[in-house]
Amino acid sequence: MRLKTIAPHIILVLFACYIALPPLWVLRTSFVPDSVAYQPALMPEFTWQNYVKLFTEGTFARAYLNSFIASAGATILGLPLAAMTGYAFARYRTGGQISRFVVLATQMLPPVAIILPVFALFRMVGLTNSVTGLMIAYAAINLPFLTWILMGFFEGVPIELEWAAQVDGATVWEAFWKIVMPVSLPGIAAAAVLGFILAWNEFLFALILTGPTTATIPVALAGLQSSNGVQIAEISAGVVMGILPMLLASRFIQRYLVRGLTFGAVK
Amino acid sequence: MADIELRNVSKRYTGRVAAVEDVNLHIRDGEFMIFLGPSGCGKSTTLRMIAGLENISSGELFIGGKRMNDVAPRDRNIAVVFQSYALYPHMTVAENLAFGLKMHKRPQSEIEERVKRVSAMLGIGQFLERKPAALSGGQRQRVALGRALVRDPAAFLLDEPLSNLDAQLRADMRLELVKLHRQLGSTIIHVTHDQVEAMTMGERICIMKDGRVVQVGAPLDVYRNPANTFVAGFLASPPMNLIEARLTGEGDGLWVEAGAMRLQVPAAYREAYRAYVDKPVIFGIRAEDIHAHQAQPDWQALDADVVALETLGAEVVLVMGISGIARADIAARLGRDYRAQIGSRQQLYADLAEMQLFDPQTTNAIPRPQP
Repeated sequence: MRLKTIAPHIILVLFACYIALPPLWVLRTSFVPDSVAYQPALMPEFTWQNYVKLFTEGTFARAYLNSFIASAGATILGLPLAAMTGYAFARYRTGGQISRFVVLATQMLPPVAIILPVFALFRMVGLTNSVTGLMIAYAAINLPFLTWILMGFFEGVPIELEWAAQVDGATVWEAFWKIVMPVSLPGIAAAAVLGFILAWNEFLFALILTGPTTATIPVALAGLQSSNGVQIAEISAGVVMGILPMLLASRFIQRYLVRGLTFGAVK
Repeated sequence: MADIELRNVSKRYTGRVAAVEDVNLHIRDGEFMIFLGPSGCGKSTTLRMIAGLENISSGELFIGGKRMNDVAPRDRNIAVVFQSYALYPHMTVAENLAFGLKMHKRPQSEIEERVKRVSAMLGIGQFLERKPAALSGGQRQRVALGRALVRDPAAFLLDEPLSNLDAQLRADMRLELVKLHRQLGSTIIHVTHDQVEAMTMGERICIMKDGRVVQVGAPLDVYRNPANTFVAGFLASPPMNLIEARLTGEGDGLWVEAGAMRLQVPAAYREAYRAYVDKPVIFGIRAEDIHAHQAQPDWQALDADVVALETLGAEVVLVMGISGIARADIAARLGRDYRAQIGSRQQLYADLAEMQLFDPQTTNAIPRPQP
């Protein structure tokens, strides 16, 4: 009997360790000097130096800012477009099932397949080596995904709300912006955070489209593996700093995903 | 205020049967009209076409004499109360009430004045700063009604507004809506599948089935003269008893025969029904026209096998079978003190003064003089 209750817990603990240990080890490595980083000891020596170095030397601080501008910009740019597209799909069945599938199909394309044409296009209009260019690229790449998410949210908004608004004197456009959008706020917030995370973590486009001053966090971290060797402690500090905003964002998204604002509108 | 007229209005969705077919209806200015029918009969679709929320596939719609087919909902000056209330969840009650007026760009002072007046009228003044989620079902219902009232529209379209309320509240709101109509005198179309609402609230009832209008008339008129077996069976609870029978003639007299039942047709109807002698008919008799005691000499005895007794307090509904008749759910409304053993045979008395005969082929009522 005891074994029956203990065995599942042992398996669960093992799996928990399997998932949690690598990031925890990264956290540990970010607080030890580079020279002893590879030692198996839990905490041979404690230091803040990796973080200090990361932000005072090199381009990491700049990369942090670039990442933020590109990700936030892409979200601000892409979200309204995704909202309108998703609404059209949800409410008017625009293009039928086929167009819905096409939107999803773009996500099945490996990024490598489009990076070269994008690079060629961007070079033509002078958008390579610029955060603005990256922002535009991210907005475009995330658009289908955000559209898909928001479509689901809009489908959950009772059509009677829009009807009520239209009868009350709103145009279809006003009903969308004054009623549907505020009611879908939790969904829009969730989509915004997801879009931000996708852009924040993106590596390939950032690597190809940016230069030393316009690099984002993933590219800057890759740059720390220099000819002097892998600066593992500093990379760990960079990884921790890179994850931090996402950790905060995931708390936010959780709260919004759970909260159903439409409750009370209908019965 | 305005009258509403539908001329040959149809609604077809691509690849499906018509949802509404060739509806012709004139709702008079200031009339309280009920759309009654089972779910899926097209009554809500018709309402939405009047509101402009659905396109009219063919036919014409006039509100206040103006053709409205291509006019946007906001320019039709009508208000709709939805079954789900459809209150804007992110706005307070006051904002919900004011939304329509703001959309129509009314001055702020006027908006405040009207919101105040309507909320006082409906007794929701103390909830103005609350969000809909913090209101009870009945309160939400009032806010939805208030949102319609505040705009002072030409007509009100109510799409089953009472069906989410509990029985007591529904009865209260029924009365209140009728009172409101008397007070405002505006045109109201009330969609419902509840025959009690239909009978008690409307000045006229429009009964729909499968997208078509089956009968239009004053509640009592429709009740006493159903156009076909569908109306007879739908309006009222228990519905009119419909029994497959045969009409026979003997000398001057006519008889309705089914199994052991043999009832003489009143003299006044003989001429009207004579063409159906020796033909199958559907005999319709209301539950309240079957009595426990013979109070009138022309009431005719009827042997009934008691299947069930539903004691409702104010009355007893006797469910019975008649030997030789397949169906055993013939209902009679009897006095509250009536008692009988289940399974026993009882003698009851049928009053045929309001009987109906229906043609089994068309299911339409066979015309007869008014009682």
